[in-house]
Amino acid sequence: MRAEQRSGSLMAAPYAAFLLVFAAYPIAFALVLVFLQWDLVTTPSFAGLDNVRLLANDGRFWRAVANTFVFLSIHLPLQIATALVLALALNRPLVLRSFWRASFFLPVVISGAVVAILWSNLYATDVGLINRLLVRIGLTPVPWLTDPSTAMPAIAAMVTWKNVGFYVIIYLAGLQYIPRSCQEAIEMEGATAWQRFRHLTLPMLLPQTILVVTLSTINGFQLFIEPYVMTGGGPLRRTYSIVLYLYTNAFSYQKMGYAATIGVALALIIGAVVFIQRRVIGKEETL
Amino acid sequence: MPSVHFDHVSKRFGATTVVEDFNLEVADGELLVLVGGSGSGKTTILRMLAGLEEVTEGMIRIDQRDVTALPPRERDVAMVFQDYGLYPHMTVRENLSLGLRLRKVARKEIDRRVAWAGDMLRLEPLLDRKPKQLSGGQQQRVAMGRAMVREPLVFLFDEPLSNLDAGLRAQMRIEIGGLQRRLKTTTVYVTHDQVEAMTLGDRIVVLADGRIQQVGKPIELYRAPVNRFVAGFIGTPPMNFVDGQLLREDGSTVFAAEGVRVQLPHEIADGTGSSEVVTLGIRPEDLTVDSGDSTDAPADSIPGRVVLVERLGGTSHVHFDAGPHRLLASVSNDRLPEVGDSITVRVRAERVHLFGGDGRKT
Amino acid sequence: MKTLGRIALYAGLTVAALTFIYPFLWMASATFKPPAEVGTLALIPDNITLDNYRTMWARAPFGRALLNSTMVAGTITLAVLVFGSMTAYAMARLRFRGRPALNAVTLAVLLVPGQLTLIPMYTLVVQLGWIDTYAALIVPYLFNATAILMMRQFFLQMPQSLIDSARMDGMGELRILFTIFWPLSKPVLSIVAIFTFMGSWNEVLWPLLVVREQQLMTLPQLLTVFALGGGAGSIGVSLASAMVLVVPVVIAYAFLQRNFIESMASSGVKG
Ligand SMILES: Nc1ncnc2c1ncn2[C@@H]1O[C@H](COP(=O)(O)OP(=O)(O)O)[C@@H](O)[C@H]1O
Ligand SMILES: [Mg+2]
Repeated sequence: MRAEQRSGSLMAAPYAAFLLVFAAYPIAFALVLVFLQWDLVTTPSFAGLDNVRLLANDGRFWRAVANTFVFLSIHLPLQIATALVLALALNRPLVLRSFWRASFFLPVVISGAVVAILWSNLYATDVGLINRLLVRIGLTPVPWLTDPSTAMPAIAAMVTWKNVGFYVIIYLAGLQYIPRSCQEAIEMEGATAWQRFRHLTLPMLLPQTILVVTLSTINGFQLFIEPYVMTGGGPLRRTYSIVLYLYTNAFSYQKMGYAATIGVALALIIGAVVFIQRRVIGKEETL
Repeated sequence: MPSVHFDHVSKRFGATTVVEDFNLEVADGELLVLVGGSGSGKTTILRMLAGLEEVTEGMIRIDQRDVTALPPRERDVAMVFQDYGLYPHMTVRENLSLGLRLRKVARKEIDRRVAWAGDMLRLEPLLDRKPKQLSGGQQQRVAMGRAMVREPLVFLFDEPLSNLDAGLRAQMRIEIGGLQRRLKTTTVYVTHDQVEAMTLGDRIVVLADGRIQQVGKPIELYRAPVNRFVAGFIGTPPMNFVDGQLLREDGSTVFAAEGVRVQLPHEIADGTGSSEVVTLGIRPEDLTVDSGDSTDAPADSIPGRVVLVERLGGTSHVHFDAGPHRLLASVSNDRLPEVGDSITVRVRAERVHLFGGDGRKT
Repeated sequence: MKTLGRIALYAGLTVAALTFIYPFLWMASATFKPPAEVGTLALIPDNITLDNYRTMWARAPFGRALLNSTMVAGTITLAVLVFGSMTAYAMARLRFRGRPALNAVTLAVLLVPGQLTLIPMYTLVVQLGWIDTYAALIVPYLFNATAILMMRQFFLQMPQSLIDSARMDGMGELRILFTIFWPLSKPVLSIVAIFTFMGSWNEVLWPLLVVREQQLMTLPQLLTVFALGGGAGSIGVSLASAMVLVVPVVIAYAFLQRNFIESMASSGVKG
C-alpha cells in the first residue's frame, strides 16, 4: 500500500537517521581518526601512518594486550567450570530452586563499579575480609592487589564471580534441551555419572560453551572499570587493560587519533580471537 | 445497480502476477461466492476490495464511488477473517464497539447496535468475556457481529468457517446464509469449499490462478461448466474424466477410449469433428450400476470391475476400473456390488460433457 | 548413599549461595559500622552508626546523582520502548522501501564492538557541545539495536488479521501499535525495559568521558570518582555511597527476579 509505504518510512526514519549519526558516522570516522593527530582543541592534522607505527611499537599497549591474555587464560576456564558445576547442580529437582538461581545471579545485576569498590575492600591486604579469613584458618595473608603476580588473577576471579550467574542461565537453558531419551539410553548402557557427563552432557552443551567462551572473551577485552577502580592498572602495569589505556589516551592525554587507533586495533583483535576460538572449539555451531 | 465493481483489476507481487484482468459486478444485496483452490488469489481479491492490499492496475468501485486509492476506513466495508482477528485483550463488547467508537458514533447508537448484533447472534451472555474464553463458534459469531454493527455497504468473508469442525461449519453456514438474507447487505464470500459455495451463493465465481473461470448461479455451474476445471471443481464426488477420441459410426458419434465406449446424443455431438481428441466428463450420479456380466448389456454401457465400495448411508460410492480408467459411481444403497464383482455401468449419455484438448467445453 | 548425596548437594549450594550473597551483606553491614569495626567478619555491628551515610551525603551530591541516574535511565528506557517499538513495528509489519537494508544494518551494528566507536562518539559529542549535558548521556542511547530486533521478532509472530481488523476498524499504524500490539507484547516490553534500564543505570565508561561536572554525574560515575578521588576517606563511607546505587536495584530484583534473569540473560547485558 502507498499508505503502508508512507507510514513505514515515517516510522523507521528516526531510527535510520540515528543509525547514520550514531553508528555509520562513528564507524567511518574511527577509520579516519587513525590517520589523524587531534587534541580536540587545535585543528586535526594528517599524521599518515604515525598512529599505526606508534601502536606497533608501543610497549604499554602490548603490555595491556598481554595482560588481557593473562586475564583470559584464568578467567575462561574458571568461568566455564564454575558455570557448568552450578548449572548441573541447579538442573535437578531442588527445594528453593529459584532462590538458589537468584542468589547466583545477584552479582550480575549489580553495577561493575560497585563490585569493584566492594572487592577492593575484600582483597585489601591488612583489613580485607579474605585475608582475615585466611589468617583465621592459619594461613598467611596475601597482598592480592599489590603483588604483580596476584593482581590480575585476583581480578579475573572477581569477574568470574560477578558474571557466573549469567552463564549458569545459559547452561541451564542448554541442559533443558538434552532429550530425556538420550539420558535414558546412556544410563541403559551402564555409564557412570562421570561418563554420562563426559560423553553426553558436555558434547551436547557445546553450543552453550562456545557462547560462554565468545561472550566472556569479548567481555575480557573490554575490561575497564575493575582495574580503573581497584588498581589503576598497577602494580607494575600488570593489570593495565586495553580500554583503560584507550581511555587514558583520550581523556588524560587528549590524543584522539591514537585512542581511536587503539579502538580499531581492539575491534580487530576481538574479531580475530573470537574467529580463532570458534575454529578451534566448534565447527558446526554459531551464535 | 451493482454495488461492487471490479474493472480490469490486476495484482502483482514483484514479478509474479497473482490476479489478472479481473472483471466482476456484484449486485446490490447479492451474496457472491468466490471459490477456488489454495493460492488462486481469492484472499488477494478480497483484500484489494477491503483496501488492505494495493491494486496494481484497474479500478474498484463501491456503490459507484471509485475507492481504488482509499484506505480501508473510508470504504464502508467490513470483513470477517479466517482466524477472526479478534483483539485478545478486549472484551467481546469492546471488540464489537471499537470500530464505531473510532468513527465517533454516538454512545447510545453504539449501545443500540451492539445490543442488536448481540441479540441476532446470541452473544448477550458473552459480552463481557475475552475472546480466549469463547469457543471457536462463538469467536466466529463475535467476528460476524463486529462486521454487522458497522452496518457497512459490503460484507467481506474470507474463509470464515475453515477453522471450525465439520458439524459447526454446516450450522454456521446456514446461520450466515440466513443472516445475509435478512440483512440484504451485499456480500462477497471467499471459500475453497465448493459445497459452501453451492449452498450459500446467489452466484459463484470460480477462480484458478488469479483468473475467472466461470461466473454463474450454482446450478448453472453444475449443469453447464464451461471448462474441465470448473467441471472438476464443482460437485461432490467430483466428475469422472476419461481421455479418448470421437468416432463417426453409422451417422452417430461415439466416444471411444480403451474400455469405455459411449454413444453420444446429437445435442452433444453436434459441432465436433471426427477423430477429435477429447475428454469425456461424467458425474458419478449419472452412472448406474447393474450387477452381473456385461455379455447381454445394452450398447451404451461400460463393463467394469469393482475395486472399492464406500458406504455412506444414503448413497454409496462405487469405485471401479473400466479398462485402465478408475471411475466412480454414486449409487443408492439397494443393490450394492462387492469388491471384485464384475459390473455393467450405464451412462446417462444426455448428461455427459465433452471437453476439447484445451480443456474448454466443445 | 542417596541421602548423603543430597546433603552434600545442599551443603554445596549453600556455600555457593553464601559466596554470592555474603559480600553484599557484609557491605551493607559495614556501612553501619564505625571505622574501627569495619574489618570484622561479623554482620551485626556492635555499635550501629549512620555516620558513614551522613558523611557520604555531605561530601558529594549523591541525591542529585540518584536523580540524574533515574532521569537518564528512565528517559532512555521510555525512548527505547516507544521509538524502538515504532521502528520494530515498521520493520516487522510494514512494507516500505529500504526495509531489508535497515534489517541488515541493524544486525551488522550488533557485531561492532562499542570500543571501536567510543572515541568518534566522544569527539562527536564534544563537537556538538554536549559535554556536561544530559543530551550526551541520553541521545546516543535513544535507540537500541538489540531491543529493536527482539521486539521485531515478537511482532512478527502476531497474526496479520489483527492488523487487518484494526485497519478495517479505522485505526492508523501508530494506534495499532500502541493500542493493539503493546497490550499484547507485555513480555517482550518488560524484557526490553529491564535490560535497557539496567544497562543505563550501571554504565560508567561513557559518563566518565562526557561528564565532568559533579552536578550532572550519574550514580556509578560519582561513586567511582568519589571512591578514587579519596573523597570518601574511609571504607564505610565509600561503601555507603555504593549502597545508594545497589539498594534500588536489589529491591527491584527481589520482586522481579524472574524477569530480571530472563531479561538480562536474553540480551547479554552484564551490568
Ligand atoms: N504479500 C505477498 N507477497 C507475495 N506473494 C503473495 C503475497 N500474498 C499472496 N501472495 C501469493 O499470491 C497468490 C494468491 O494468494 P491468496 O490470494 O492468498 O490465495 P488464496 O486466498 O486463494 O489461497 C499465492 O500464490 C500467494 O503465494
Ligand atoms: Mg486465502
